[in-house]
Amino acid sequence: MPNCLVIEDDTETRDYLCSGLRAAGYAVQAETNGEAGNRRLQETRWDVVVLDRMLPGQVDGLGILEQMRARGDGTPVLILSALNSVDERVRGLRAGSDDYLTKPFVMSELLARVENLSRRNAWSRDVTLLQVADLQLDVRTMRVTRQGTTITLQPREFRLLEYLMRHEGQIVTRTMLLEGVWEYHFDPQTNVIDVQISRLRSKIDKDFSPALIHTVRGAGYVLSAAPTYGPTSR
Amino acid sequence: MAQRHAKPVAGVGLRGSIAFRLAVGYGVLVAASMATLSAIVYFGTVGVFEHSIDNKIMNVEAHLADAWSRAGRPGLVREIDAQLHDLIDTDTEVVGLVDAKNHVLAGNVGRWYGELPPTGELAFGQMERNGVPVSVRLIATRLDDGSRLIVGRDLIELDAIRNVVERALLVSAAVSILLAFFGAQLFRSRLEARIVRIRRTTARIAAGELSSRIVVMGNDEFARLGDDINRMLDRIEALMEGVRHVSNSIAHDLRTPLSRVRSRLDRALQASADPDALMADARLAIEDIDSVISLFDKLLQIAALESGVRAGTFEKLDLAGIAHDMTELYEAAAEEQGVLLRFSGRQTVIRGDRDLLASALASLIDNAIKYGRSGSRVDVEVDTVDGAPSLTVRDYGPGVPPEDMDKITRRFYRVDQSRHLPGNGLGLSIVTAITQLHEGTLALRRADPGFEARMVFPKA
Repeated sequence: MPNCLVIEDDTETRDYLCSGLRAAGYAVQAETNGEAGNRRLQETRWDVVVLDRMLPGQVDGLGILEQMRARGDGTPVLILSALNSVDERVRGLRAGSDDYLTKPFVMSELLARVENLSRRNAWSRDVTLLQVADLQLDVRTMRVTRQGTTITLQPREFRLLEYLMRHEGQIVTRTMLLEGVWEYHFDPQTNVIDVQISRLRSKIDKDFSPALIHTVRGAGYVLSAAPTYGPTSR
Repeated sequence: MAQRHAKPVAGVGLRGSIAFRLAVGYGVLVAASMATLSAIVYFGTVGVFEHSIDNKIMNVEAHLADAWSRAGRPGLVREIDAQLHDLIDTDTEVVGLVDAKNHVLAGNVGRWYGELPPTGELAFGQMERNGVPVSVRLIATRLDDGSRLIVGRDLIELDAIRNVVERALLVSAAVSILLAFFGAQLFRSRLEARIVRIRRTTARIAAGELSSRIVVMGNDEFARLGDDINRMLDRIEALMEGVRHVSNSIAHDLRTPLSRVRSRLDRALQASADPDALMADARLAIEDIDSVISLFDKLLQIAALESGVRAGTFEKLDLAGIAHDMTELYEAAAEEQGVLLRFSGRQTVIRGDRDLLASALASLIDNAIKYGRSGSRVDVEVDTVDGAPSLTVRDYGPGVPPEDMDKITRRFYRVDQSRHLPGNGLGLSIVTAITQLHEGTLALRRADPGFEARMVFPKA
């Protein structure tokens, strides 16, 4: 069971975070200010940290993060902030955060991102042959096969599939896909990502069974051989 | 709006007046220069004259002393007579020999006042000549037999010259001080008049007449200042107008989803509600609240962009690369709408923020797909216009009615025929703000057919 430390001063947000993370299967501890959070970080090894950007007292979120990185503590950190501007995001990432989410956030988005961070060590770029059920993707030769049949993909579709396969069984949100595959960070207004996914689906899933790419209502997508994500809705 | 009267603009006291201080400072400078010039003139005239008198006296004295040592008293008396009758300076020369009891033995020396100066010293004195006392310059030399040789000049001419020069200097000093004073007054009143005009206008604005402007005449510093202030006022007025418009729109746009949420929650509170309906209501309420949140997010984004805090995220990047990526991203969505999305352009470097530019372009492409007719196409082009990098998005749809053209970049503004489409009328406002942050310009035009948006950026 991965353990997660939440450092957040607002009681409601803290409770919401803790209950959401616990329901998702994390062992959660919470602290309300920077000093206590800092002590906690040094006592225990954490799998992932959810850190509020604005904290009361002497040390704010970025301060804690900078101290962590200065100590050589590489624990994945997700920054939560009410400040939504490109500048703020960049500052957070420069201070050493691994991801950044603005308030008010949707729990499914937060969980998907925390999951992504806590599993970060599980998948590695060194793995070049990915396999989920009977779907195979070879990063070096850019070859994708399902049940032995070669599937021709556009370069971008290939990257999209690679991303989904590297996050097998994990919910990935639309913004995560835009960041991970297109390397842009903004809120795509329309259903562009959905259209891209449905194209990929038509190549990967249409002529095969079972379907591997599932839509998770209100959250995003997941690629999994287990049909645990309920009926696929298009 | 209540009309308040502007307070009359108070003038500044004489001492607080910058114009007065400038003029006085200038006057003092003029006076100092005058004093320096006067000193030069005075010593250049009177001084030279005095010097030449002294020289002449010393020459005569040397000549007579020479006669004394060569030929004794008789020779000296002869020489004195000769000196007085040589027709050179005879009317101003004073020469004489007096004995120890001050009896005049020879020459034209009159009665003098006070003591004679000690031997060998040139000094000023008073002497009676032709019955009137005149000032003289003289030297007295004691001879071996106790008598004294007196050589000098009366100073009538010198005094006359000195008087003339001094009077001229006095008069000119008085005139220049008067001129400086009146000049200062004139200077001050002119400046005051210019400034009062500006201050009256600003007072009117402070009292709430935001549309007042300074009347600009000519092209001097004040005209330029007036121009600058007017430009600032234009900006302020536009911002105020924008704020008014936005608050109205927010009030209007938020009312609907909020009242919907409220009524749903209200219904959910009723005990008879069945769980399924409750779930559905909660879900719809969340959707409504999400749309409110995204509206606020966008407004905050616009505010942050417009406050012009240059993000520390600007770097050199390839505009064509971003345009290519966005075209690729939207291609599939365009195709679903039956629109052909195409990109053309070569590598073009600008300084900017990758994500902001991408989101602006995404917004433009999104609009073009939405409003361009299905079955037509959308062109995305990166080019340079007169050396300036530009990015154009053009559709071939019905375009925008001419009367709406100047309003479409306004927040929340939606062209009538597009009200049924999803959106909140903030897209172009954000694009405008992003373009301005990059110090570029956004040009929108009716392309007939269709609509064209062009962002032009400064060279990297």
